[in-house]
Amino acid sequence: MIMSAPVTRTDGSESPAPVDEGVLVQRARRGDLAAYDDLVKRYQERIYATIYHMTANHEDANDLAQESFIKAFHALKSFKGGSSFYTWLYRIAVNKTINFLKQRKNRIQMSLNDLDFNAEHNPDLVALISEQTPRREVNLSELQEKLNAAMLKLSEPHRLVMVLHDVQGMSHEEIAKIMDCNIGTVRSRLFYARQQMQALLSDYLK
Amino acid sequence: MIEHENDFESLRRLLALKRHEVPPPGYFNQFSDLVVQRIRSGNQASRYSEESLEQVPWLAKLLQLLNGKPVFAGGFAGALCLALFLGMIYADRPDLAPEPLLPASANTTSFAALSPAAALSQSASPIGIVSSTNPVLSIQPIAGNFGQPNPLAQPVGFTIPGN
Repeated sequence: MIMSAPVTRTDGSESPAPVDEGVLVQRARRGDLAAYDDLVKRYQERIYATIYHMTANHEDANDLAQESFIKAFHALKSFKGGSSFYTWLYRIAVNKTINFLKQRKNRIQMSLNDLDFNAEHNPDLVALISEQTPRREVNLSELQEKLNAAMLKLSEPHRLVMVLHDVQGMSHEEIAKIMDCNIGTVRSRLFYARQQMQALLSDYLK
Repeated sequence: MIEHENDFESLRRLLALKRHEVPPPGYFNQFSDLVVQRIRSGNQASRYSEESLEQVPWLAKLLQLLNGKPVFAGGFAGALCLALFLGMIYADRPDLAPEPLLPASANTTSFAALSPAAALSQSASPIGIVSSTNPVLSIQPIAGNFGQPNPLAQPVGFTIPGN
């Protein structure tokens, strides 16, 4: 087993350095649930966020995120290491989410998370709600609702590209690996998704 | 491309709002525990089902066969559908009388139509207990509320020889 050297934290205390992802994956493949717990902790926020932005529903995102991690654990034996564990895990979560969205096509119900405290202090967002736009009386919660409703009108592949790139800040290359398509497709989907969103939210954009 | 990026600048600023949507406080503290718990309980459930399958080896073999070869699973499902279909067809045909469970003989063909006394006289049974097999049409009482006989009810009697 590879032991990691201790790392000094900012508060002066020492904590073990994070174990290499490959080592954790190997241990999890042998059924070590503690190692898998570490892997879940590493990626839970990103996986949950992607699913949440795709579904606009906290409860669905919670279920799908848990099921994605469980499915990934049981499928670890088939993980060949051709891509990073992170990309592979994302692929599982994304496929699960798209299948779910296809099934619930006609019963979309939003259950949005609250905005954090920092949203009110984000200069870009403050500018958006205070500028002389046709809907300048709009508040952040209303804007959040309109934004999510507009995103749900996009097709799943277009929404996914927009979420991964514009919300989560992933590169075109990473998205292409996750979606198993070429970079050109990612770019064209992103362009089309943005165009559609611009049209849907024209009242709220300058 | 840079032009396009500029075209969508205000949209990108608006999309930044999505990054401020956060789940309830403390949500991620227990998330991994829940996942691990569910994995553990799933493992236990599959262990139990394996143990119970070990007690029924033929079922285990059948399931193994069906899991291993999808062709067998398809064939098995097809056979079940065919059996169901045939069952529905034959159930709808009242002209097809069911086969008698006991081999019919000349003496017993009209047995059901005989009264218990007549049946007794024809019977060669050493014990001689005879009962009527006429169907009881109703579970209503033999006599009505005011002592009048109920026309739908039939008395059922047993005659034991020597008594």
